[in-house]
Parts: sequence; structure tokens; C-alpha cells
Amino acid sequence: MIRRIISAIDERIKLLEIYREQMSHYMVPSGLNFWYSMGAVLIAVFCIEVVTGIFLLMNYVPYTKEAFESVTYISNTVPAGWLIRRVHAVGANMFVLVLFLHMFSVAIMGSYKKPREIHWFVGCFILGITLVTCLSGYLLPWSQLSYWATTVATSFPGSIPVVGDWLVYFMRGSNIVSQETMGRFFAMHVSLIPFTLLTLISIHIFVMRRTGISVPPWTDGTKKMPFFPHFVIEDLKIIYFFLAVLFVFVFFYPQISFPPDALDPADPLSTPAHIKPEWYFLANYQMLKLVPNEFLGIVLQGIVAFLIFFLPILDRKEERMAWKRPIFGTIIFLGIIAFIILTIWGYCS
Amino acid sequence: MTETDIAKRNFLTKLVGGVLGVTAVIFAAPFVRYLIPKKNSGDANILTSADGKPVLEKEIKENSSFVGFSKSGPTIIIKRDGKLRALSAVCTHLGCLVKWIPNEGVFFCPCHAGKFDANGVNISGPPPEPLTVYNVTVVEDGTIALEKS
Repeated sequence: MIRRIISAIDERIKLLEIYREQMSHYMVPSGLNFWYSMGAVLIAVFCIEVVTGIFLLMNYVPYTKEAFESVTYISNTVPAGWLIRRVHAVGANMFVLVLFLHMFSVAIMGSYKKPREIHWFVGCFILGITLVTCLSGYLLPWSQLSYWATTVATSFPGSIPVVGDWLVYFMRGSNIVSQETMGRFFAMHVSLIPFTLLTLISIHIFVMRRTGISVPPWTDGTKKMPFFPHFVIEDLKIIYFFLAVLFVFVFFYPQISFPPDALDPADPLSTPAHIKPEWYFLANYQMLKLVPNEFLGIVLQGIVAFLIFFLPILDRKEERMAWKRPIFGTIIFLGIIAFIILTIWGYCS
Repeated sequence: MTETDIAKRNFLTKLVGGVLGVTAVIFAAPFVRYLIPKKNSGDANILTSADGKPVLEKEIKENSSFVGFSKSGPTIIIKRDGKLRALSAVCTHLGCLVKWIPNEGVFFCPCHAGKFDANGVNISGPPPEPLTVYNVTVVEDGTIALEKS
């Protein structure tokens, strides 16, 4: 019966042709290791975030007087609400982590080089939008942590000369983080950003399909294997590994996403001691603390972002082997060390 | 295709582009306006508590502080030697709220340990600027009106 339906559909719109072209007859280089599956993990986690987000929306109230209560209701009263909320929160952290790993592997393997520069540019936009997603989602529970972390994060542009104060005012929609800020962040988090991310991910996959997956630098690319089922099975192995890690944190270490300040409702008239942003902003946060002039700190971070974004234009040599690019390798190594040190320092300070 | 046809086609292409461009600008204008926050109304700048009720002068005890809202945002008011002094409670570093430490006579920011003296001048830590100071007027009914000094 199902076969007859499929063949009837196929007879009209040639669906199996697309399947053959894009899946079973689509050949990828053999010798792809687990680093090549990070994109698939990201797609899987993105889907989890969208689905859990839709379920959270069914009970969440984006109104400052009720937001914290609605989130508590989801966690404590709605059946499996605690699970969906934890998966959403921990999943967001995992998305950022895997995105960092993905970009790291692309940089080390030189996969951003011609003809894949567009992949890198789109990937950088995905990273930027992801961080905005996390920031906007952070405010929604309206806890002490969300309120004050958002206050600190939205204060940064204030040090930009001339337009800084106006930018802060525009981002918040008022002088302080308030209902206006909540409205803006909520609209961005649940509608504008997911669609933007989905569009960027689609463009990323489209350009990747047009150029083909990059050949690992340690092979000559002559040996090939079908995308489906061979490479899909490799992807699934890595996806399930990361799902296992996700659920270890969800069940055993949820406090990583819910520190004590996340359990108190927001009080706009009382700042808790030692408020800190999420781990992926800690390096930026610590750097801004170390640089005496706040504007200079923002400029330095802008320069780092600029260098990362324009990497394919700055590094045009064909060589992709990491060990044959000592200067590049040293810069990447020192950059990662600096990021880790600043993150730990920011956490401990 | 003659040269006249090409010129016509070029003109029509530009015309379509122009019409679409103008339409986009006209449609975008109200959305941009929607996003720009409204300025505060010109009502008196009265200090209020978190629930929006006006704070009365008699509620603030000697050598103690009170954090409330004014039109400019969170505001801290202290009473020393019977005199009220009001300042913005927003730390000039990253926007956390300062606390009054009566023993030391300083405002302290819990986020990055910034300190300001009783006049709001930044004296230690990362804050780059002093706190905004307000002139305080106690109105007849005991409410506290503020004005930027």
C-alpha cells in the first residue's frame, strides 16, 4: 500500500530522482572523520531547540509580572515540563559548543579556502545570530540571573562614543531592562531569529552541496562513498554521542544552566553579587574588565571578530595541512589558549 | 532588438527598481518608528518604590539608603545629617546597581567592586565616570522630586 502511494507520487513529481541525486548516488570523499559530522550534530540540536521551544511557548507568558511564575509552572507542574525546559537550556549551550568545535575544525583543516569562502562567511553569521539567540533567550525566564546578565550585556555598547547611550536605549526599549526589553527579546527569540537561522543554515547547506564536502587534507579525495547510508551512519554515531552528553547534563548536572540566581525572580532594585554571563561570553566579559578603557575593549573585540570573519581573504595560500602552516597554527593555538584562560579567569574572578 | 528597444527596456528596469525601492522605504518607515522607544512624558520626576508608589521623605531614616525608581531609572537616595542626597543607582561601568555602605560612607557596586564616594565620584575599581547626581526637592505632601544637577 505504502509502496503504491510512493510510486504514485513519484510518477508525478519524480521524488525518487531527487533522493538518488541528493542521497544514495551523492558521493562524498571517504576518510571523513568525526569532525565532518559536527554540521549534522548542529542540525540535530537546532531541531531539538525548535521543538522544545515550541512546547515551552505553550505555557510561557512573555510579561514581566508573570514570566518567572510561568517558567516555574512549566518546571514544577506541567508533566515533563522540567525535562523540556532543561533540554532547551542545556541544548543551547551544546549548540554553541558544537558550533565552536565545527569552526575550529574548519579552520585547522583549511576548509574555508577557495572555493568554500562563502561557507565560512555564512558560518560566521550563524555564530553571531546564535549568540544573539542565546542572549535574548537568557532574559525570558525573568530571573535575577537573566535580568542582571542582560543588564550587563546590554550596557556594553554604551561605551561607544556619540551613539552608545542611544544604542543601549534602543536595544532595551527603555532606560532599564523592562517589559519593553522583554517584548523585543521575546519577538526576536521566538520568531525573527529562528527563521533567520533556518535561512542561514539552508544557504550554508546549499553552498556546501554546490561545492561538495571538502576533501580531508590527509587524503587525495579519489576514494568515494555514498552519502546515504554510509556517511549518514557516521553522522548518526556522532549525533547519538552528543545526545548522550546532552542528557548526562540534563539529568545529572542541570545546575550548569540553572545556578542559584536563576531560581530567584528578577528584582530590578537589587543586584546580586558576582553576576556573570554564560560561559561563551566569559572571555569577552573578562577582556572588557582587563582593558582599562571600555571602548578600547570593544574595539579590540571588533578587530578579533573582523580577523575571524575575513580569514578566507587574509589566508589565500592553497596549503591546508595544519603542520605546514606554522604561523597560522601558532596564531590559532594562542587564540584558543587566550580564550580558555580568559574564560576560566572570568569564571573565577 | 533596436537601440530604442534597449533604451526602453533599461528605462523600464530602472522604473521598476525605483518603484519597489520607494515602496520598501514607505513600508519600512512605520516599522522603524515602532522600534524607537517613546521619550518620557514631562510629568514631575518623583521617586517611587518598586510598585510605583511615591516614596515619602519621612520613610528614609538617618544614615540609611533607599533604592527606588525615577524617570531616569533606578535611583538611590541617602539621608546624612538630615539632608537627602539622590544619585543614579546605576553603576557607570556595566549597569549593575550600587549599594550604600554607611560605615565606609561609599557606594559599592557588587558586580566588579567599583566604589564611589558619598558625592558619587568614582574612587576605585573599573567605573569610568561618577554617578549622576540629582537635586532633591521635598514637595509639600512629602514626596521627593528629583532634577538632574
